Amino acid sequence: MLLAGETLNMATPVSVLRLPKGPDPNSRGFDPKSPRFIALCRTSIPTSAASEADPEQLQQEQHARSVLRESFLRCLLSMNSKKVQFHMHEKVKLEATFGASDIDVLNFQVSDLHTPIGVQKEALIRCQDVISFTFDV
Amino acid sequence: NYISYNVLTMAMRQTPLTCSGHTRPVVDLAFSGITPYGYFLISACKDGKPMLRQGDTGDWIGTFLGHKGAVWGATLNTDATKAATAAADFTAKVWDAVSGDEVLTLAHKHIVKTVSFTQDSNCLLTGGNDKLLRIYDLSNPEAAPQEISGHTSAIKKALWCNNDKQILSAADDKTIRLWDRSSMEEVKTLKFDTSVSSMEYVTDGEILVITYGKSIAFYNALSLDLIKTVEAPATINSASLHPEKDFFVAGGEDFKLYKFDYGTKEELESYKGHFGPVHCVRFSPDGELYASGSEDGTLRLWQTAVGKTYGLWKCVLPGNSLWALLSSSCRSQYCNLKHAV
Repeated sequence: MLLAGETLNMATPVSVLRLPKGPDPNSRGFDPKSPRFIALCRTSIPTSAASEADPEQLQQEQHARSVLRESFLRCLLSMNSKKVQFHMHEKVKLEATFGASDIDVLNFQVSDLHTPIGVQKEALIRCQDVISFTFDV
Repeated sequence: NYISYNVLTMAMRQTPLTCSGHTRPVVDLAFSGITPYGYFLISACKDGKPMLRQGDTGDWIGTFLGHKGAVWGATLNTDATKAATAAADFTAKVWDAVSGDEVLTLAHKHIVKTVSFTQDSNCLLTGGNDKLLRIYDLSNPEAAPQEISGHTSAIKKALWCNNDKQILSAADDKTIRLWDRSSMEEVKTLKFDTSVSSMEYVTDGEILVITYGKSIAFYNALSLDLIKTVEAPATINSASLHPEKDFFVAGGEDFKLYKFDYGTKEELESYKGHFGPVHCVRFSPDGELYASGSEDGTLRLWQTAVGKTYGLWKCVLPGNSLWALLSSSCRSQYCNLKHAV
């Protein structure tokens, strides 16, 4: 029986359906399958972005893009375990043995990285810092 | 129905939703407007990796990767298609907020602290430790930005006001200045005894919310006339006014969130939850929740009407014993409110 002046502390915590979803450790997110992405993402193909897309031109452009992409991926594959010279920003040149790229081509995994301040046994090179790279096929 | 609201809050205890993922203090956060896909929240963090979240649930959507230093400021445009960030790597960046891709890097001469889009998203205002305000035309980013000088210390916050015709800036020189965008001249200055910790601009009603020391002050954003000042129990780092201007929330150095009645200035609630000082707090565009960012590296979402079904929160009747103690009129008012929500 509650007496006058007694305080009652029986407040129930509000229920939640679940906790907010946290970041995916393997990806930077922005799910391309989400309705918002599908509706809003500007296609990166210039021809199809135009209001009147010429289907033949679109086909040609798409073909060219596929060829370039495949060639780039094959290049990355053939670089595995080879010595590669990287030309970086600030006039830095590095040599390393190429290992692999991550899925978004944000980082390259390399070994025996020769830097101006010494040799790093294992390293990650940030792709946005790379201007170009060369290697013997 | 004020009485029903009291019955509900008497019965229910606030359950904040914790958004984890950042590894260092969260120093800034911003909501977008309401879009056909809901509304969104961006958080700036000293770990250099600002994150985008769904506003009503706190669900992570993506991380903007590219900055090489602490991110001090972050903002979204109204329809959440673009994001902008200000960082210690001396750059401000503009991002596609749908794909997460970096669109522009704007080099500065010192740490950038604050970024703000105009309503049409065509211009970006930046400010930072070089004491200059810069206006970038995003349709012509190669062009040199317009520069406004005047502050004598690092700028911590800059924003557009008066339909993007004017600019408000707060700096470590203990002033807040109002500038005319077309003339680039200073229109008015507010001087304080201590550094202003935060500034929020409420478009509808042209109200400026400023925090300094333990005070939360409300000004008319056009005239910079003081409307009212409210004192909090602790040093406040950030405050936000509810869209309907009936409440405001504040957080600061004692790790707590405070909720005040804007009309009466009365402190209504205080909530513990964070494990470090609160650096930023903002109401969502629909006013149903507010988000806080803390030194503890988390964001927390708090309900405005505790116990209401919204987002991830679910309204459930309180336990039997408490229910039995309420008078029948209270109980029927509670049921009416539950049906209303």
